[in-house]
Amino acid sequence: MKGPRISTPLLLLMPAVLVLCAVVVLPLLLSLYSSFTAFRLTRPESIWIWISFRNYENTLTDYVFWVAFGRTVLLLTLALNLEMLFGLGLALLIEKASRGQRVLRTLLMFPMMFSPILVGFQFKFMFNDNVGLINNALQSLGITQTPIPWLIDGGLAFFAILVAEIWSSTSVFAILILAGLLSMPREPLEAAKVDGCTPWQSFRYVTWPFVMPFAYIAMTIRSLDVARAYDIVKIMTDGGPARRTELLWTLIGRTAYGDSKMGLANAMAYISIVLSIVFTVYFYRKLAAARTQIAAEW
Amino acid sequence: MDKNRASRRWKSLAHLGRFVALTLAMAFICLPGAWIVISAMRPTVEIMAKPPVWIPHELSFQAFISMFGVIGQGGVPVFAYFRNSLIISVTSTVIAIGIGMSGGYAFARFRFRGKSAMFLGLMLTRTVPGIALSLPLFIIYARLGILDTHFALILTYVALNVPFTIWLIDGFFRQVPKDLAEAAQIDGCTRWQAFWRVEFPLAGPGIASSGIFAFLTSWNEFALASQITRSVASKTLPVGLLDYTSEFTIDWRGMCALAVIMIAPALTLTFIIQKHLVSGLTSGAVKG
Repeated sequence: MKGPRISTPLLLLMPAVLVLCAVVVLPLLLSLYSSFTAFRLTRPESIWIWISFRNYENTLTDYVFWVAFGRTVLLLTLALNLEMLFGLGLALLIEKASRGQRVLRTLLMFPMMFSPILVGFQFKFMFNDNVGLINNALQSLGITQTPIPWLIDGGLAFFAILVAEIWSSTSVFAILILAGLLSMPREPLEAAKVDGCTPWQSFRYVTWPFVMPFAYIAMTIRSLDVARAYDIVKIMTDGGPARRTELLWTLIGRTAYGDSKMGLANAMAYISIVLSIVFTVYFYRKLAAARTQIAAEW
Repeated sequence: MDKNRASRRWKSLAHLGRFVALTLAMAFICLPGAWIVISAMRPTVEIMAKPPVWIPHELSFQAFISMFGVIGQGGVPVFAYFRNSLIISVTSTVIAIGIGMSGGYAFARFRFRGKSAMFLGLMLTRTVPGIALSLPLFIIYARLGILDTHFALILTYVALNVPFTIWLIDGFFRQVPKDLAEAAQIDGCTRWQAFWRVEFPLAGPGIASSGIFAFLTSWNEFALASQITRSVASKTLPVGLLDYTSEFTIDWRGMCALAVIMIAPALTLTFIIQKHLVSGLTSGAVKG
């Protein structure tokens, strides 16, 4: 063979790398460049107007941006923690169930099949102040007389979005943690019982360390697509009313396609990309650390 | 004796508590979907009724029939969207699986420099939020003139699916013992034959389920599709669903029916792969 020899694994990885370069890396370089220009969709030649860091300055001094940023971080923190907590609880409940474990596990897969846009629609329907299931139920039970404006009031809409997020992703945690629980060896638990551990202690010091890597896998998978909240919010409230549920991603979409300020939107997009990457790397490292710890102990 | 009885009562109480908690959780999981299905089949008058009608008086498939009618209900061409979704999802899945198999095999069977950095790098491309990626893709596709075509979405979805496909397939190949392929090679197979005749069939079910997973990702994707598609020529079902909300009055029944159509294939496919999916994601969690 002529020319430099490429090793087999690199050759095998070549197609993946090529596709990802073409569709992800190169476009991101373009968007990095355009985030330093005054690019507007309506005036294509404006992509050549170099304005250095002005887009970033405008973004970082913009009150609207910081509100959306803070709301996004708050939503993610609340959602991820609650999902983890509920997922763990659900997994423990199902593991204890003596019968019907298979049926329960299958039911658990149910929300995973829903695309985020469908989750959003479904909760838009349920939380609708006029025809929604929730208001109907509350009124039938006589808890309130007047319909509650779930998606119209800012705080309530945030709550509704949080519920939708939790509904759609708790089962990812539950399923993976359950897989961990089921693959756990019995002996250490029995030994702990013989040694007089309380149920809490044996959970804290025996079960949890074993299950932790599974929880981190779930966290990593979940953090890969935190931006799915965009779909949910887009259909539920579209960032409204009056921007009270605006997230980073809906703000980017609005700036880019609504106001056609591509350059500015790209600057915001870069900040959101960095945010996602930090999230993922953080959990991936935790996962790696948990893996080595498990490998050393068992 | 008394202590015994107290402890037994505690136990049955805890049992009951667990049962109630589990039932509530399952109701929370199942109810929203069930409500959509029911609403798709009941007349609009009942959905709008005040006070609410809980138990449907009559069920019909009218919404589904009118949806696939001549131009579709309320001018939403559901049939065209369905066809677009199907073409785009299937094609991108087939290509992603091909690429993912070669990449996954490389990760499972070879040691090379920068392996874990490479893996993390691949995963990181997946973390880019769809809306953020849509901006440059929109500019590029518009310049290339492939905006609003099947090709543009297929290309995008292949890239979207490759990282996760590699992760899953890597896990499935690792579950196949190395010795088998080595034994085949000693018996005179080439490396390629050993892969094709021994390792591939053994990892087959896992690979099929990664395929289904990739299919579902494409089938469900919204953020990118909503910007890259413009018209009936390439709009997919999730984008079509939003068509309904942009109208002045929301047709709840029509939307519910469309939702059922979107979820039906996903439901069927997920049941088929559920077992493999979990084992693929977790293999290597403990073994490293």
